[in-house]
Amino acid sequence: MLSSTPVAASGKSSDLLSSRSIKHVVVLGANGAMGLGSGALFTTAVPRVTFLARTKEKADGGLAAAVKMVRSSTVASKVDTGSYDDDFDRVVAEADLIFEAVTEQLDLKQQFFDRIDAVRRPDSIVATVTSGLSINQLAEGRSESFRKNFLGLHFFNPPNVIVGTELVAGKDTDPKLVDFLDVYCTKRLGRAMVRTADTPGFAGNRIGFQLLNECAILAEEHGPILVDELVGPYTGRALTPLATIDLVGWDIHRAIVDNIYELAPDEAHETLKLPQYMADLMAKGVLGRKTGGGFFGKDDAGDRIVLDPKTQNFVPTSHLMRPDLSFIDEISNLHRVGRYVDGMQAFAEASGPYAAIAQKVIARYISYSFHRVGEVTDDISGIDRIMGYGFNWAPPSVLVDTIGLKRTIQMIDKAGLPVPPALANAQEGTTFFDDPQVDVGKFFVAA
Amino acid sequence: MAQIPEVYVLGGYQTDFARNWSKEKKHFVAMMREAVLGALKETQIEPGEIDVAHTGNFAAELYSKQGHLGAFFLEIDPAFSGLPTSRHEAACASGSIALLAASAEIEAQRYDLACVVGVEQMKTVGPGEGGDFLGTAAWYELEAKGIEFPFPKLFGKLGDEYDKRYGLKDEHLAEISTINYANAKLNPNAQTRTWYMNYDHAMSRDEYNGSIGGRIHISDCSQVTDGAAAMLLASPEYAKKWADRVGVPLESIPRIKGWGHATARMRFEDKVAESRDAEYILPHVRSTVTDAQKRAGIADTSGIDAIETHDCFTTSEYMAIDHFGLTAPGESWKAIEEGVIALGGATPINPSGGLIGAGHPVGATGVRQALDCHKQVAGQAGDYQVDGAKNVQTLNIGGSGTTSVSLIIGT
Repeated sequence: MLSSTPVAASGKSSDLLSSRSIKHVVVLGANGAMGLGSGALFTTAVPRVTFLARTKEKADGGLAAAVKMVRSSTVASKVDTGSYDDDFDRVVAEADLIFEAVTEQLDLKQQFFDRIDAVRRPDSIVATVTSGLSINQLAEGRSESFRKNFLGLHFFNPPNVIVGTELVAGKDTDPKLVDFLDVYCTKRLGRAMVRTADTPGFAGNRIGFQLLNECAILAEEHGPILVDELVGPYTGRALTPLATIDLVGWDIHRAIVDNIYELAPDEAHETLKLPQYMADLMAKGVLGRKTGGGFFGKDDAGDRIVLDPKTQNFVPTSHLMRPDLSFIDEISNLHRVGRYVDGMQAFAEASGPYAAIAQKVIARYISYSFHRVGEVTDDISGIDRIMGYGFNWAPPSVLVDTIGLKRTIQMIDKAGLPVPPALANAQEGTTFFDDPQVDVGKFFVAA
Repeated sequence: MAQIPEVYVLGGYQTDFARNWSKEKKHFVAMMREAVLGALKETQIEPGEIDVAHTGNFAAELYSKQGHLGAFFLEIDPAFSGLPTSRHEAACASGSIALLAASAEIEAQRYDLACVVGVEQMKTVGPGEGGDFLGTAAWYELEAKGIEFPFPKLFGKLGDEYDKRYGLKDEHLAEISTINYANAKLNPNAQTRTWYMNYDHAMSRDEYNGSIGGRIHISDCSQVTDGAAAMLLASPEYAKKWADRVGVPLESIPRIKGWGHATARMRFEDKVAESRDAEYILPHVRSTVTDAQKRAGIADTSGIDAIETHDCFTTSEYMAIDHFGLTAPGESWKAIEEGVIALGGATPINPSGGLIGAGHPVGATGVRQALDCHKQVAGQAGDYQVDGAKNVQTLNIGGSGTTSVSLIIGT
């Protein structure tokens, strides 16, 4: 049984917290961004954290980066470093929690799990930070005690800033361990926990990368600048969609959408197919910000350039004309003074071909999210939590509440998308978002 | 003389102090709007029921080039058309002054329901320029002009004065910082709730915790942020009606039981010169605290269950500890060492995280403190609840101990 309701609220949290003790964490892949960021996070709650990497020098580099990331040299006082060759067997045998953050490749992770299974204590926890590989598949062939103590703990990058975290149990994971880690991560690590099913991309990436990839597909016809403006901050996000793909990296984007496309054919199947132009450019080495540019970049003179997906060339942004997008300016002006309901109602009612493109993307995000309930989480709250706390996007329920139920249904219908039964069957006036600890206004950025 | 009517506190709302409203590309009116509409929703009150509105704000003229903040209430809801409004300024005590004005009007029986909002948008400028703006809370020409970050230096001098008179250890200041950051982790609206902090960090002196004014290091400072907090104050007549409507007994509704308000000379060195032979370094702060207790009929701080104090710097909280009378003058360190001020201690200070942990959007702070007192006595403080809190007291300070206001909110 999945649940996105924090167990912490049930009053049993102190009993659960004392049911296990975590005094030593070993991080594998501690030179990568997720490994070192998570390692720094563990030092806030655990007296000893071991950073392991291919060489001790790389692990030391991870520690130095962790210090810089959280801006405190005290991280180092709780961390020791080592290499897979020299230290793995000894420290993994000592650890209470083994946190695997190596490169996102099934065979590589399996090699590490073979080694862990051979030396770990039978009661130690093994967590993987995979962003989409199947927990059950990763556990295949492992010992019974490994499978019982193994689960997915998906922090989002950078974990010192983004608190949304997915907790994914496999079919053999001990339910008591899941309850414990839910409370532990909430209380000791300040996480906003969401339990998800072991489905491709879990909850956050399944829904988030659907929208991102749909924008990448739209960019082929309309160009990246226009698409990022149409599905821009005013629709409920801090960072625009294609700039987000550039930031996470095209290779990561591809791994996530390919996995969902292959293993989870759903009503939005075609929107999860990586556009051919992206595959072509990746073959030429374009991977987003880490290779100097993706959809957006700078030329040798430092001027902004943008990808033209049709020609696969980069062109100066100064040459591009902005069509009439006055509906966006109007909505932004309403957001600027805090009139989010007026702004999003104007969005749902805007007319013209460009408004229709934006409305369809947002309508699909809402429709797609509600249709995933029961598949990736038990209820819409879990999806809302991970989209809000993990992606910093307006959660689907916030959009429904802000736009209004009837207008939302009309918008989904007009876009030719399936209206989720949870919306179709609700009374006008029903509110869907139920987290009182979130200022929903923060999602509607005035730009 | 007729008996002065009680001032009831019905509730309120605080924006998330971790938000950066400039990054959201918003005008401060959006912040006022969220806070006021949030307070109305929280208390199930319609905008048209409000009789009068007060805004506390320090320096929107500088940060946003905008004055006349009372009038911005009319941008929140059409029902506010014609509402009497005003704006109040007393540096970092602006929010409390707005609360005092609203409560005085209720006591005078002019109005039955007042809305008070404290608001400050500070991230519109960089740290250097912002530090200069904050200098106007001191005597700018004499204490701040041309000085980088004048306020940490002034509150560093407060520490120096303690050191000179009684001795002061960095370890005790570091402990104050550590407690505030730890409490902030329990507060979903705290600015620093995800920040990396521990005692060793507060004691560290490297590039990540450099000095920015004598003994004041980064971990000793409250941080600049954007935020607003709104509250609803009511007369006994309105409170009775409201209590019936929401189905609670009138006696269960918190009241402003006492208040103190005093002003000292503007310049820090003049304050110190005045108190040279006095028991307390800032006697007007002390009298503000005791005046509030006298008016509430509370003999001393042993009758107070928790404190929300003005820890703009660790030295200001160190000062508050003895000025509240938790220890003899100069012995604040004892309350720190004995665990008195920690959450779970005899008199927890800043269960919310205070200014250091929760954030210090200047004009909002006094209202945020009072709102946290309300949450405590109403049992609504969530993870930072002080068990069984009945009377909780604020201390809100403008300038270098210049304008002091203290409120006691209790049931």
